[in-house]
Amino acid sequence: MTGGPLIVQSDKTLLLEVDHSDAQACRMAIAPFAELERSPEHVHTYRLTPLGLWNARAAGHDAEGVVDALLRFSRYPVPHALLVDVAETMDRYGRLQLLNHPTDGLVLRGLDRAVLTEVSKSKKLAGMLGAHVDEDTIIVHPSERGRLKQALLKLGWPAEDLAGYVDGESHQIELSFEGWTLRTYQQEAVDGFWAGGSGVVVLPCGAGKTLVGAAAMAQAQATTLILVTNTVAGRQWKRELLARTSLTEEEIGEYSGERKEIRPVTIATYQVLTARRGGAFTHLDLFNARDWGLVIYDEVHLLPAPIFRFTADLQARRRLGLTATLVREDGREGDVFSLIGPKRYDAPWKDIESQGWIAPADCTEVRVTLTDDERMAYATADQEDRYRFAATARSKLPVVKALVERHKGDQILVIGAYIDQLHSLGEALDAPIVQGSTTNKERERLFDEFRSGALKTLVISRVGNFSIDLPEATVAVQVSGTFGSRQEEAQRLGRVLRPKSDGRQAHFYTVVSRDTIDTEYAAHRQRFLAEQGYAYTIVDADDVLA
Amino acid sequence: MATTFADHLRSLTDADLGELLRLRPDLVMPVPADLSALAVRAQSRVSVARALDGLDHFTLQILDAARLTRDPDDGTTSVDAVLAMAARPEARAALTRLRALFLITGPDDALHVVPAVDEVSSPYPAGLGRPAADLDPRTAALCADPARLRRTLLAAPPQARAVLDRLADGPPVGTLTGTANAPVSWLVDNALLVRISDEAVEMPREVGLLLRRDAGPLGAVRPQPPAVTGTARDPKTADSAGAGQAMEAVRLAEALLDALDAEPAAMLRSGGVGVRDLRRLAKATGVDEPVAALLLEVANAAGLAGEAERSAGEPLFLPTIGYDAWRGQTLAPRWERLATAWLAMTRQASLVGQRDERDRPINALSMEVERAGAPAARQAVLEVLGDLPPGTAPTPEEVLALLAWRAPRRAKGRENAHLAVLADAATLGVTGLGAITSYGRLLAAPDGEGGASDEDPLGVRAGGDSEFSEVARQLDGLLPAPVDHVLIQADLTVVVPGPPEPTLADELELVAEHESAGGASVYRVTEATIRRALDAGYTADDLHALFRRRSRTPVPQGLTYLVDDIARKHGGLRVGGAGAYIRSDDEALLVQLLADRRLASLGLRRLAPTVLATPYQVGRLLTALREAGYPPVHEDASGAAVVARPKTRRAAVRAVAALKTEPPALTAPRLAGIVEHIRRGDAAARAARRAPVTVRAANGHGVEGLTAVQAHTQALAVLQQAVRDKALVWVGYVDAHGATASRLVRPVSIGAGYLRAEDERTEMLHTFALHRITAAVLDS
Repeated sequence: MTGGPLIVQSDKTLLLEVDHSDAQACRMAIAPFAELERSPEHVHTYRLTPLGLWNARAAGHDAEGVVDALLRFSRYPVPHALLVDVAETMDRYGRLQLLNHPTDGLVLRGLDRAVLTEVSKSKKLAGMLGAHVDEDTIIVHPSERGRLKQALLKLGWPAEDLAGYVDGESHQIELSFEGWTLRTYQQEAVDGFWAGGSGVVVLPCGAGKTLVGAAAMAQAQATTLILVTNTVAGRQWKRELLARTSLTEEEIGEYSGERKEIRPVTIATYQVLTARRGGAFTHLDLFNARDWGLVIYDEVHLLPAPIFRFTADLQARRRLGLTATLVREDGREGDVFSLIGPKRYDAPWKDIESQGWIAPADCTEVRVTLTDDERMAYATADQEDRYRFAATARSKLPVVKALVERHKGDQILVIGAYIDQLHSLGEALDAPIVQGSTTNKERERLFDEFRSGALKTLVISRVGNFSIDLPEATVAVQVSGTFGSRQEEAQRLGRVLRPKSDGRQAHFYTVVSRDTIDTEYAAHRQRFLAEQGYAYTIVDADDVLA
Repeated sequence: MATTFADHLRSLTDADLGELLRLRPDLVMPVPADLSALAVRAQSRVSVARALDGLDHFTLQILDAARLTRDPDDGTTSVDAVLAMAARPEARAALTRLRALFLITGPDDALHVVPAVDEVSSPYPAGLGRPAADLDPRTAALCADPARLRRTLLAAPPQARAVLDRLADGPPVGTLTGTANAPVSWLVDNALLVRISDEAVEMPREVGLLLRRDAGPLGAVRPQPPAVTGTARDPKTADSAGAGQAMEAVRLAEALLDALDAEPAAMLRSGGVGVRDLRRLAKATGVDEPVAALLLEVANAAGLAGEAERSAGEPLFLPTIGYDAWRGQTLAPRWERLATAWLAMTRQASLVGQRDERDRPINALSMEVERAGAPAARQAVLEVLGDLPPGTAPTPEEVLALLAWRAPRRAKGRENAHLAVLADAATLGVTGLGAITSYGRLLAAPDGEGGASDEDPLGVRAGGDSEFSEVARQLDGLLPAPVDHVLIQADLTVVVPGPPEPTLADELELVAEHESAGGASVYRVTEATIRRALDAGYTADDLHALFRRRSRTPVPQGLTYLVDDIARKHGGLRVGGAGAYIRSDDEALLVQLLADRRLASLGLRRLAPTVLATPYQVGRLLTALREAGYPPVHEDASGAAVVARPKTRRAAVRAVAALKTEPPALTAPRLAGIVEHIRRGDAAARAARRAPVTVRAANGHGVEGLTAVQAHTQALAVLQQAVRDKALVWVGYVDAHGATASRLVRPVSIGAGYLRAEDERTEMLHTFALHRITAAVLDS
């Protein structure tokens, strides 16, 4: 028994005791192959998954090293069967390689003839493979590179993609360090991404993912396509790029519902790309409009299904995915892995917070007791209307008002999902509302006022979930949301996590109706953050009102 | 010979005789009456075969050398001749060993090989054929002229040479397949090979020796066991991996038995547990079916699970009383119970799921899994592993090679069993990372070698450990110590950083849900589990106290809130039983009823201002109320008034006997079936009538006037006569299914317990086991 910080479980989870003196060394040793699943305050949970182990193989780690790390840091004996399983799983990666053959183009080479035969017989690969070059090499139709990788991953024989990337159209991009430098973790993230060629970087909201993107562009020195969730987010990217890089206004184009500019660096929204006319995607040409050297996917956890399909065709271009939460409510993490690339960098939120890069936050759930009338209305509501009834209960209004009162003088965001509710909140708090129908111009104006401090309280709808940079917001009050969405909760917390100029603590309140489905959804929503170490305090509405 | 051998034994010192008995312990089971009996037994085939089984590859080679160097006239050889043939220094020790075993007897210059050796070993010592003189005069002539023999060999075409080289490596007999075999024909034509049957050729000893000029007459001599190049691991690492697996094995066994407890498996009528049950258990345990089968067999062998009769239906397979005691023990003795059971069980669990000779799947716990040799196979494999330096992890192939060298006669044909032992040992944690663990070594050590029993026969030492064996103690030192505290986190997970103490496990089992097991246990507290704990009688304060007492870290506020919140709601709805109720909008009237002393016997209770309840039935309530002068109305479940009617009495209906039906009509297909059946029977009877009476009679009951043995002897005599005369014979025999049959055949040969005979009608060669033949009569 070594007394190490790690406990290996039979279900392939690894428990890391955070307060152990070797915890940091152990984290460094296991991070390359194990995925951080939860990081609450005392014991962090990592999981050994085939994806994670293959990822480690891709990064040059071998099974012996993994086994050694497990044995070295494990407090208790590690089951032999688990070690064997790790070795066997890792051994599956790289038996097949995607290569650029000098005469035949893209080929699939099998280092193990039996495996190549097995997969080439699979129905899932029908139509992707061409003729045999020799016994160990099969021609791959270049257009099928992404889909082939997806299919091979599903078959459990992930291919090592050594076919390389096109350089793309060269374009000079420099970071302009004026009063700032890349933080260590940002540099590590960029290095991790560049070494792998393509992949996903996971950083908490407010930790400066845009800068990771900018640094990746500076590394690539090539024309770049940036895909973002909405126009406002796109404009923030543009602002940030103008401030932090040598790029000028003319070099950055916006491709959105309003403008269709194609420039060396083009920022496009998911929405416009997935817009259809007559059943056909009309803006697909953008992907081929230039010889892009780098494609950046912002908020990759929201990537719509059609974009995955387009991405399958972009396998020869470098791809960088950015996100705070690789949790997809639709469970398509495997597609992110095979199409965008493996996770190249990940850091626990609390680590970044302890380094002072994101603001410390205090999360509170306020439980409102509904009035008898509201309870009756809830009890008799249809199943599908129940959440709306509970979430928009008028009893929440005085609580929200009291919370806003309590933080008088702070920059406060009130976030909700139902327009009616937002309107009554706007009236009650005497605050402007940003919602889907608000014009971009109006949004920009309100956000600017908020940033400057002229506007203290802002009521925003779901449009405010992502990528809105409001650094001075210190308080967020959530009144309703999209059911039990874990990533929405995290994103909303992210609105107040940008470090404050005076190092103030951020506050995040979520107001829920007691004894209703609202509470259940809230618990589900909080799970991701709780696993990231954010402890929610639960208080009664009466305490807030008192 | 037996006399001289017995005399020789008589001349031995007690020590030497004792040494022989030590080396061949089977000779004293039972203890022989005298030395003549011992001599007979020592030369018996069974005992000699057993002695040979224990010999390693090299010693057997030296024995072959002794057989080869025998003088053709008096059958003796000498030490010098044997050593010269082996040309290895180690040969002397091997020869000494063979003499100590009395497989070779006599003085140095006149060694005798015990005759039974030839009977129980290959007829081709060292893979060489018989001398040419015994085979064929033409070949003998060729071999007598060494120069011509060499020339003929050199003249062999390359393909023929390849055939020669293969036969020279042994065995020296080749079977001919296909029709065109030019190289073999050439060799036979040139007398280098001799055709010994239609389908086989043999290489004469002289040719083989000549071809082995470079390797030596015995072929490749291997005085040392094959080297192991497998990974060498830190013995501690191997121990650790093994101990981890041992913990896992105990946990899995427990999970499997728990699954069996929740839903016992039905024993099939044919014996064993069905595939479906096995699959279910495997799924519940979270392992694949082979592992589940192994655990099931081991649990059965360890007495943790067993069969229970049922009054109706098949017997059930479920955990025994012993299981409950086992569960209360600590990990190490629990594991030891499983491992010792595995070591000793005469079952080979790896056979489960394979198909038997009738192509039916083999079920776990069925008779087909029984293998008497399984314990010996385990012992052999573990011995091989145990003799390697600690931490050495040989590949399975290397283990097989070592086994094949150590006792080739035993290892032959048992490769699969040996591989299964390796797999089982890894699953159970006897080995770790392919190397045997320190406690595995102790487990495999024969009694008295590893145990502390010699030094501490009464187990007085170290009071607390007294029930621990050496194996358990060694394993226990590697296993984590039980933990009595938890870490509670804000995401409502509860982590026990080690194996929980039994009391802690019981507490957590109730208040939280088990999420992950292994070195530690992770539980999650949910609304449902808190509610479950409250239902079980805990109060909110008890739960707070429990979490505070067990947690090493502050209890998160979220958990405290959750407990309080659920406790607040708990009991918000009350459910109870009542016999009948009284309701009325007149609250005053109900108060009056409650106060009425005449109704006190009804035990009325006020549930709400307008509802009273009583444990008694409606009838009694109505009567009591009416007697007291109140006017109650009886209402049904929907609230409508019930109008009572007096009941009328009726007798029960008696069942009327059903009408007898006509016998079913004979339909056309059924008739056709019956006719076909009759015709077939008729044809069979006629065919049987063709066979002579004696044969038929013998098939049925026995030939008149003869016992079965006499009939059999007579039949053999008839057959031997028929072989010589190439005559047609009616043979009666018992076939593989136990049915009797007879056949008209022309015998070709008798030997090795079989009759080979030609059926002229079908032009096929048949083989009959002699012991199955009941009668034989020459065709008239």
